[in-house]
Amino acid sequence: MSGQAVLVLRLAAPLQSWGGPSRYNRRDTQPQPTKSGILGLLAAAEGRPREASLTDLLGLRLGVRVDQPGTLLRDYHTVSDHRGLALPAAKVDAKGAQKKTGPAKYTGVTQRYYLQDAVFTAAVAGPAALLQHLEHAVRHPAFPLSLGRRSCPPTGPVSLGLHPDTDLPKVLEDVPWQASAPHRARFRGAQVTVEATVEDPAGDLTATDVPDTYDLKTGTLFSQRTVRHLWISLPTGQQTTGQAADIPAGRTDLGHDPFALLGW
Amino acid sequence: MSEPTLFVEVHILQSVPPSNINRDDSGTPKQALYGGARRARISSQAWKRATRIEFAKTEAPADRATRTKRIATLLAERLGRPESEGGAALEAAQADRLAAALMEPLGIKKSAKKEEQSAYLLFFGKRQLDDLVRLLGGRAAELAALPDKELQEETSKLPVVSALSTGHPAEVALFGRMVADLKDLNVDAAVQVAHALSTHAVRTEFDYYTAVDDENTEDSGAGMIGTVEFNSATLYRYAVLGTHQLRNNLTSAEATREATVRFIDAFTRSMPTGHQNSFAHRTLPHLVLVTVRTDQPVNLVSAFEEPVTGNQGLAAESATALADELKTAGETWGTVPQRTLATYALESDKLAEAFGPSLPFQTLLEEVGNTVGAWLTHGEIPAQRTEAAQAGHR
Repeated sequence: MSGQAVLVLRLAAPLQSWGGPSRYNRRDTQPQPTKSGILGLLAAAEGRPREASLTDLLGLRLGVRVDQPGTLLRDYHTVSDHRGLALPAAKVDAKGAQKKTGPAKYTGVTQRYYLQDAVFTAAVAGPAALLQHLEHAVRHPAFPLSLGRRSCPPTGPVSLGLHPDTDLPKVLEDVPWQASAPHRARFRGAQVTVEATVEDPAGDLTATDVPDTYDLKTGTLFSQRTVRHLWISLPTGQQTTGQAADIPAGRTDLGHDPFALLGW
Repeated sequence: MSEPTLFVEVHILQSVPPSNINRDDSGTPKQALYGGARRARISSQAWKRATRIEFAKTEAPADRATRTKRIATLLAERLGRPESEGGAALEAAQADRLAAALMEPLGIKKSAKKEEQSAYLLFFGKRQLDDLVRLLGGRAAELAALPDKELQEETSKLPVVSALSTGHPAEVALFGRMVADLKDLNVDAAVQVAHALSTHAVRTEFDYYTAVDDENTEDSGAGMIGTVEFNSATLYRYAVLGTHQLRNNLTSAEATREATVRFIDAFTRSMPTGHQNSFAHRTLPHLVLVTVRTDQPVNLVSAFEEPVTGNQGLAAESATALADELKTAGETWGTVPQRTLATYALESDKLAEAFGPSLPFQTLLEEVGNTVGAWLTHGEIPAQRTEAAQAGHR
């Protein structure tokens, strides 16, 4: 035993939002869970305060499998003062006080983006002792867990358990397909091919989603990690009829997907 | 980290008639896809705001929170009050000077202007101001008479920041506060609210309306025409309250018990007001289920991933699906709540089996209060009375 293990998480909810470095009035979501989002979930489960160090978590390697990609939802969100006062402007005067809006503006508008109807399998690889501790924390969280944003509580069990396996891609191949029943019903054939990314020093893609801290005072700075993109074929659990409708294993059942290469 | 946890979850099924409670920038009721089907959605922010307003209604004025830049002004006003009213009976100029000195550790600089303002809005409880006055221990007049330098020395010894970072008003403790520049004053919300979703597939309808111009005698046309979009839905609403976290925020067991009960009451009774005058959509829930857990919160929205069809009525079918999901989650994942309390107006043996007998809502609130109170004082939840025991009791 190398003392390494992989913790498998199931990330499912009507809404998820994996922000990454988006700011101000437009809050994006990435198409897949970010490292920052996953580490935040684990740190919250453990009950770490926002200012706590993340150094022991940063070394964990992340693999994410897209079991059900979901679609993008734009949420129109307004902010107003409950006393009916005009909102201050973004500009400040020489003393640093916010100027008044002229003409008076009463409603601020922000756009928030969510992934709707998505399911992901995330695998976190690292020292067995640390992951064992985190696995227990996910089952007994100190703070309620959320998928990227506080208004997105997960549904179903989050932890799918620990694997004493250090091979990240292998674990992602072994865990059964986690898609919802309505999503499964759309597939015919014995196999489905889903995309995945794994953290790999030899990878050819970069993701800018490694947080330095969640401290509100300093804000989070994101650094890069290298990832590798792969396709994983999973059993759907459906019996094939042996007729012409049979879809061979592989990626043909995905249809024409010109954006796949871009990692979208 | 190994601090014991207690989560109180609220699951609500509630039907709303044709309405447009929460709309986007084109006037369309908010929606989301779930289980491949289009659902009505009320954003968590919309319902949280309604809950806060409902919560504040029953809050004693002294316990209310306020969001202001003028904390020094408010403090000075309080210092100027007679001692019988919790003040220090200082003259206005002295009170201003002392208040400014007390605010110094918060980075609120004294300025040439009379009105002292913090650089950002502070959200704090009015009771915390009383605590600040109490910190002075009757030495207000003595302190105010000191020269500037000594005054600063004396006030810097007082735990002003900690007075403002403990004993938060319930509103702040429940819903949180962020002050980027002064992280000591940050409060992480103890409450998590999910977006409400319809348990079934929903299609938006268009109401084509015409309005008559009463003074128009020349032609037969309408004064104006337009459309309003609307839908009607049976919603699943979910919120979870970390009681342990709330206690850390409030630092009082009794206040925690009280705030928990009042939050459930406010969350249950509140309703966002979007297009309220056009649709009069104020309803009460069919079902309020409160689950108390010491391990992990369980959002039961997956009960409706396969949309309810409503052949037997949407509310009844949704309640049955929720009962099944609670049971399945317990059997499959071992996540059985410590306590299950419910109020419902639906007839079904299945519901009684899964949720226990329907309690009057006031009784449910009292039971939640008792359960949370017992956990806070003894660290344990009294065993749930089984139905058989209850029957025997009668």
